[in-house]
Amino acid sequence: MSRVPEDTISRGLPGDTVQPAPRTRREARERYRGSERRQARGLPSTSTGARSLRQAAKPGASLGAGYLGLGAAVLTAIEAVAGIAFFLIRWDTLSQPWFPAAAWGLYLVAAVAVGISVLTYGERLTGPAFALICVVLACVVCLDFIGIWPEHDIVHTATASIAAGYALLPIATLRPAREVAPAIAVLGVAFIVMAVTSTPVTTDTLPGMVTLLALVVVPPSVALFVVHRFRQLVQRELDRVLVQSNVQAPQFAVGMLASDELARLDLAAEKLLDAVANGTDPLPLSDASASVAASLATELRLHLIEGRRETWLYHAITESDHLGRSVSVADPGSLAGHLSPAQRDGLLQALWQMVGDGRVSQPGVPVVSVTLGPVGSAGHPVTDETMDVPIVFESRGVPRRSLGPTAWSALERIGPYTHSVRDGVLHVVAHCVVSRHPTM
Amino acid sequence: MELIAQERDRLLRSTTRVVGILCALVSVVGIVCSLAVPTAPLVGALLCIAVMIGALVLFGRSGAVWWTALVLAAGLGALALLLFGVDDTVRPVVASAVVPLAAGGLASPLMAQRGHPIGLALTIAAGVVTIVTVAWAGGGPLTTPVSGVVLVWVLIAVVAVWISRSIPRVARRIYSIGNAHRAERQASETEAQRRQGARLLHDTVLATLTLLAHSGVGVSEQAMREQAAEDARLLRHLRLGATPQPQQSGDYSLTRQEESPLGQTLESVKQRFGRMGLEVSWHGTGQVLLPSNVLDAFLLALGECLENVRRHAGVGEAHVTIVHDDETVRAMVTDSGVGFEIGEVSAERLGFKESVVNRLREVGGDAKLFSAPGSGTTVVLEAPR
Repeated sequence: MSRVPEDTISRGLPGDTVQPAPRTRREARERYRGSERRQARGLPSTSTGARSLRQAAKPGASLGAGYLGLGAAVLTAIEAVAGIAFFLIRWDTLSQPWFPAAAWGLYLVAAVAVGISVLTYGERLTGPAFALICVVLACVVCLDFIGIWPEHDIVHTATASIAAGYALLPIATLRPAREVAPAIAVLGVAFIVMAVTSTPVTTDTLPGMVTLLALVVVPPSVALFVVHRFRQLVQRELDRVLVQSNVQAPQFAVGMLASDELARLDLAAEKLLDAVANGTDPLPLSDASASVAASLATELRLHLIEGRRETWLYHAITESDHLGRSVSVADPGSLAGHLSPAQRDGLLQALWQMVGDGRVSQPGVPVVSVTLGPVGSAGHPVTDETMDVPIVFESRGVPRRSLGPTAWSALERIGPYTHSVRDGVLHVVAHCVVSRHPTM
Repeated sequence: MELIAQERDRLLRSTTRVVGILCALVSVVGIVCSLAVPTAPLVGALLCIAVMIGALVLFGRSGAVWWTALVLAAGLGALALLLFGVDDTVRPVVASAVVPLAAGGLASPLMAQRGHPIGLALTIAAGVVTIVTVAWAGGGPLTTPVSGVVLVWVLIAVVAVWISRSIPRVARRIYSIGNAHRAERQASETEAQRRQGARLLHDTVLATLTLLAHSGVGVSEQAMREQAAEDARLLRHLRLGATPQPQQSGDYSLTRQEESPLGQTLESVKQRFGRMGLEVSWHGTGQVLLPSNVLDAFLLALGECLENVRRHAGVGEAHVTIVHDDETVRAMVTDSGVGFEIGEVSAERLGFKESVVNRLREVGGDAKLFSAPGSGTTVVLEAPR
């Protein structure tokens, strides 16, 4: 694929819109990061295809978060009901029950307001709304603390302030962790300060305080963890599903992005030729226009050859965020194109299983290497109609005994295989019998 | 679905592990702070908690029912040692310290018992035993420790149900995105094939662009303009969705016929090179019918050879001899130019190999190149009929 910076072509062509300069530093940083990553993988960073891929991957951040948030709200409600019941039971023992009562009132009003806002504006929470919720929760905690101060026994009297910790559960699904974590920390510190100042610290009260602190801080922290893992899961599944569409691709494909590139190059060529034809660009051409023509010709030529070389496997690996990072493919004979959809599916599934969580232990060394071919080596017979393509996996990712039945049944779908372990590297050689004249 | 179910189980298991270990550790801190437990039961309980944490780690990996049993047994053992091993006076204090263990620690396996009825039954039984024990130790069923334990058990049950339910929902959305993506891929593939399929068109565009890259020097301005206008018009047609159907593309016939006569197309190749300043003399067959894909490849290869003559040979004339029999059609492109040493041209060079040899091989033909410095160049092109 071409490594020529894309902007060399459109430069100086009439009618081209130039992307406006980034307005904020964050925007510039994100734009730079994204384009750098894509260029490192040889993918175009600005084409419509790249954009559509990015858009497809984007909902992953919020996909399913709404339902998860509803579940968290159920937890909050259960805790609130338990807390109110507990508070009412203790009503008589408190000397100032109206402060915690006011705290609970404020809490319920805030909960109803958030509920109405979610029903009206959908499952999202803006920054100012989050800040407002935090302020309200701080008021709740303060009112509760004022009310239970005279008892000097925080462990057995705190109710609404504990509920404030649980109120962070649904918020953890809607706001990024870097905003929720400080809120949890502030709440934890407030509890520690309150506990130490209001209640005499003895060996009798300390265990209860530790438990209380855990009851307030642990649930929202676990919620952050679960939401993080959930998003990872969604991203990964989305990546897998998008890559899976390659299974149906023809023997040689140009890929989602190349088609856009070709359209863009054609358009640039059309504009240049138009400019030459109607005399906007006088002949003989200026050096600038001539170099534009030269780079256009080079890229067009490369793109026209491209589709005839690259198989679905190449596209699958380069388009995937997870596999692209950790899988390397050697397929000099473009043999992957011969595989039937079922075999392709097996190959992809096996790769997903072997990659595991895709963590690269040594930078530069792929987690899984796949080699297809060469055809006709010993033990891999070739007939007029079919050939036995050796597919060799070298996996450093998931250890052999951790590979589940899914991985082995995926390998079986490719064909009969043998496996061995050498120096902690799993070697699998599959005999993949394919038609020599694929119809796809 | 199979894979996402596997991912869901992994998510639930790792949540189990995090909740279980965190709660057990919080309890350890509380118990040690209380200074109320005699040494022997304390050491025993800490050992039990260590076993429980180890079992939780292993449970996070495999999810086997044995690890559930070990987690529950070790947790209950620690609970029993702590609550039965102390005096009546400090028992309520210890009870408040073991709440995280009794609640989060013992309840955590509840989250990952999908498809393990025995594990689920064991966990629920352990939960009942835990609540009864804590109620006895805390001095009644309505005390703070008991309500804390019951509350956390309920919360963890809700978490387990909710996570398992939200994953199939999100999976359905992901699959619908995947379907849309597959449709988009097919559409973009078709579009790319349509554009790539317009190879004759691209070939003339490329030839024109290459001329322009040398600022259009060596070609009359008028001819250059005409060529550019014609190519731009064709590209516009392609962009607007039509496969260009003009009678003449300036040079080639682009009509998609099953078989095209070679003769009239050769004439247009001749005209095109005439405009660029290379006189092409034809010898031999005038009319040969070829399947359109073979004709494409043959003409493109021929045009490429003539372009090489025009650019590199340093002469103004080339001879093309075309002969055919029942199976093949052959063209011999000869010039009396400077020639070159074949070995000196790297085989990696895209030009000849890609544009001539590979194009012909794709349709079952072949090309051979003969040249020596000072004695011109001859290319023999072969294509099946």
